[in-house]
Amino acid sequence: MSGKRERTVKLNVINEPKDSYSGGKSSLCPGCGHDQISSVIISAAWENGVEPHKIAKMSGIGCSSKTPAYYLGQSHGFNTVHGRMPSVTTGAYAVNKDLLYIGVSGDGDSASIGIGQLIHAIRRNMDMVYIVENNGVYGLTKGQYSATADIGSKKKKGAINETQPIDLCALAINLGCTFVARSFSGSKKQLKALLKAAMSHKGFALIDVISPCVTFNNNDESMKSYGYVKENEVTLHMTDYIPHFNPISEVEVPEGHFKDITLHDGSTIRLETISEEHDPTSAMQALGALHDAETNAKHVTGLLYFDNTKASLVEDLGLVDLPLIDVTDNDLRPSKEMLEKINSAFLN
Amino acid sequence: MENIVNDFTINVATANGTGSQSANLILLQSLFEMGIPVSGKNLFPSNISGLPTWYIIRLSENGYQAPGNRTDIQVLVNPATWEEDIAALEPGTVVVWNENSKLEMNREDVVSYPIPMTKIARSINPKLAKLITNIVYVGALAELLGIKQSALESAIKAQFKGKESAIELNTNAIELGREHFRENLTKKDPYVVKEREIEVKQFFVEGNEAVALGCLFGGAQMLSWYPITPSSSLAEAMIAWIPKIRTNDDGEANCAVIQAEDELAAAGMVLGAGWAGGRGMTATSGPGISLMQEFIGLAYFAEIPSVFWDVCRVGPSTGLPTRTQQSDITLLYEGSHGDTQHIVLFPGTVEECFEFGWRAFDITERFQTPVFGMSDLDLGMNRWACSGFEYPNEVMDRGKVIRDKDIFDAFEEFGRYLDVDGDGIPYRTLPGSGMAPILYRGTGHNPMGVYSEKPHDYLQLMKRLREKIDSSRDVLPAPILREESECEIGIIYLGSMENTIQEIDDLLEATGLKVSQCRLRALPAHSEIEKFIERHETTIVLEINRDGQLYGILRKEIPIDLVPKLRSVAYSDGMPPRGKIYADLILEILQDVEK
Repeated sequence: MSGKRERTVKLNVINEPKDSYSGGKSSLCPGCGHDQISSVIISAAWENGVEPHKIAKMSGIGCSSKTPAYYLGQSHGFNTVHGRMPSVTTGAYAVNKDLLYIGVSGDGDSASIGIGQLIHAIRRNMDMVYIVENNGVYGLTKGQYSATADIGSKKKKGAINETQPIDLCALAINLGCTFVARSFSGSKKQLKALLKAAMSHKGFALIDVISPCVTFNNNDESMKSYGYVKENEVTLHMTDYIPHFNPISEVEVPEGHFKDITLHDGSTIRLETISEEHDPTSAMQALGALHDAETNAKHVTGLLYFDNTKASLVEDLGLVDLPLIDVTDNDLRPSKEMLEKINSAFLN
Repeated sequence: MENIVNDFTINVATANGTGSQSANLILLQSLFEMGIPVSGKNLFPSNISGLPTWYIIRLSENGYQAPGNRTDIQVLVNPATWEEDIAALEPGTVVVWNENSKLEMNREDVVSYPIPMTKIARSINPKLAKLITNIVYVGALAELLGIKQSALESAIKAQFKGKESAIELNTNAIELGREHFRENLTKKDPYVVKEREIEVKQFFVEGNEAVALGCLFGGAQMLSWYPITPSSSLAEAMIAWIPKIRTNDDGEANCAVIQAEDELAAAGMVLGAGWAGGRGMTATSGPGISLMQEFIGLAYFAEIPSVFWDVCRVGPSTGLPTRTQQSDITLLYEGSHGDTQHIVLFPGTVEECFEFGWRAFDITERFQTPVFGMSDLDLGMNRWACSGFEYPNEVMDRGKVIRDKDIFDAFEEFGRYLDVDGDGIPYRTLPGSGMAPILYRGTGHNPMGVYSEKPHDYLQLMKRLREKIDSSRDVLPAPILREESECEIGIIYLGSMENTIQEIDDLLEATGLKVSQCRLRALPAHSEIEKFIERHETTIVLEINRDGQLYGILRKEIPIDLVPKLRSVAYSDGMPPRGKIYADLILEILQDVEK
């Protein structure tokens, strides 16, 4: 044994190096919050031990929707049209329910042009992770306000926003979304735990991530700037994720109050109380927390709402166990005898 | 007075939501069961209850399926259109009218048969009188024309499948209608029906149901749809058939159905299914196709298999939602912004509705491009005689999809949009396969599927896409030619015009004009189309719209020296095409050519 340790590549639970989850070089502005989210997606997928090729990365149009090129290079993806990623994902899911669908969208994509599709994907409890990279402005068209811009906030150029914002988390909770979280691209630990939990959830998991736009909306008067969010973030709880392949009994029990939520694949999200306990199964508490934050010009982050009692889209579709793309052509086409039966039934 | 046998048109004026549809279908079915060539057209309003509806039944020994050029027998039930209907009667028309309507029937120049329809209906069941009124006129007509009782009874049974009380009620009402006529009226018109020997046993089916069955035999794996007249019954027929033919013993289906939030989402789901390797489709009408434009362009540019059925109605805008038109030929062929061109199939019969239903999937997967089926309200929602659907005579064509790692590894270089075979059709791998994953995009891309704005990449891509679609011409269903030898005049037509063309042809022939017929069945146009135009002095492009959409497309695509040979006859008033209108327009255009 030599005293010098060889540098070994760290592998995850399915023996993949982290490199298997990386993507191309980002072309976003240096410091963009979206790049931090991309790196969290890579870490979360790797640490969760998801097979890279079993992931489908979906997006719409905008700065955020370009990011699938920057992560999970071994996964197929679809950069669709503006605001319509949910429907494309739904169609893909209908024929191949065995993939993990990770959608990335922006506040323009989700809160304006695509709000209808977002709403209906939530309504169907479509089984996917839906990340909104929320910066309050349209970046690719050079800094117009989006529908999530806070009242009283001012972007780098132009007037103060006076229009009521749409809070996607409040909207989702009202729609009965089964997993609703808010996070901040600067809070990578929390974001990673939430993202891993979302991957383990069966149903629609919305994570609204405040992700500052360094070019058009990172000035002091902006309520979605790094500085503002850091100072005004209200964290609901400390968030920890314990994957199903790590026995929970071996995880250190926190000193204070905490709440464990078991997810669909047997993993756990652990919510440690900071000051007041938040019950994520209570829509009223979740909406209350959002309302308080809005009133006080704060941003509340954490797992706002969770419901594992609802059937997801796949149960509603009533399909065979096999993903439809794996059903043989022979099984897809009814027999000749069947057509003869139909013809003679019409005749009689 | 000489009898007119099996050659006349009945027009029934009722209000919708009063059960008139089932009465009319019983009438139609009973004539059909007697072996009489008959067709029915339902002219219904965009409304659920109370607005006027007309049902036109054409009996024709020549097998003409279009509505006749005049009404021979008018049934008057609807007070709302009473005066209008009476005013439109030509002298000598037979009028079977409800004498309990409290409205006047003041025409002296018609053959009048008053029937106390409401009174008879009340005598059976006062609560259901409104519904029964309609079936009473069927009884009166049966007596008037000589419709066989056994044919009527069998039609009633078919209509009310197993609902004994409804069968009894209707049979009873028909008998009372018959009885009233027999005892109180004397026949004084020439119209009679005569049973004909049935050579080939046929059944009635709507085009929409035929497409639905075709799609299910084509292995459709996902239907996403948003309700819209006149295509809803296509999706609903699929939903009704899936449990019977695409579901296992545990009640699990292998075709998903999702009712979308709008047509945009419906199109998005079709693309998602195609992208993932499945056979996805939607059914819609013109307004839906308008909304789907953006996705259609994406499917073309990113080369995603996707099937869209457009059951056309009258445009533009909301238009006449319950009337028929070949409205969307251009919209489908050139859909979405930028330079695009799409494959469009035009079934002309219910047999073809079935065939193109399954074939569309093979074509879309083979060419990796959206494929449209264009039907219309007339073909889709009316019942047409069918000799039976033919089982697909070839195995499914799943196109150039690489599912096997060994085959994939044999590629020296793999690029999603690399033209390996020189036929413009690249290979694809599927999400989940782990083979050559790429981020599909609607932005410019190079043969490797990577974002590119380079002029060379864009030019090559657009050129290849054009060549790819162009190469489909002679693979798509070829035109059906009915040519007279050395005929100077040719007619190119498409789709549901098939049901009127023979009558048009006969009307022209009666004036001494012989024409050749060419039914185009797909776009881009088959090479035979050009040859057909070449062979004839003048070719008329006949279609059911205002602008001559197909004419415009052909004019653009045929060699310039052939263009002067091409003439357009395009007409649409919302009604199913009537032979005489088109024949007259053709004669008019030809006079103009002679000058």
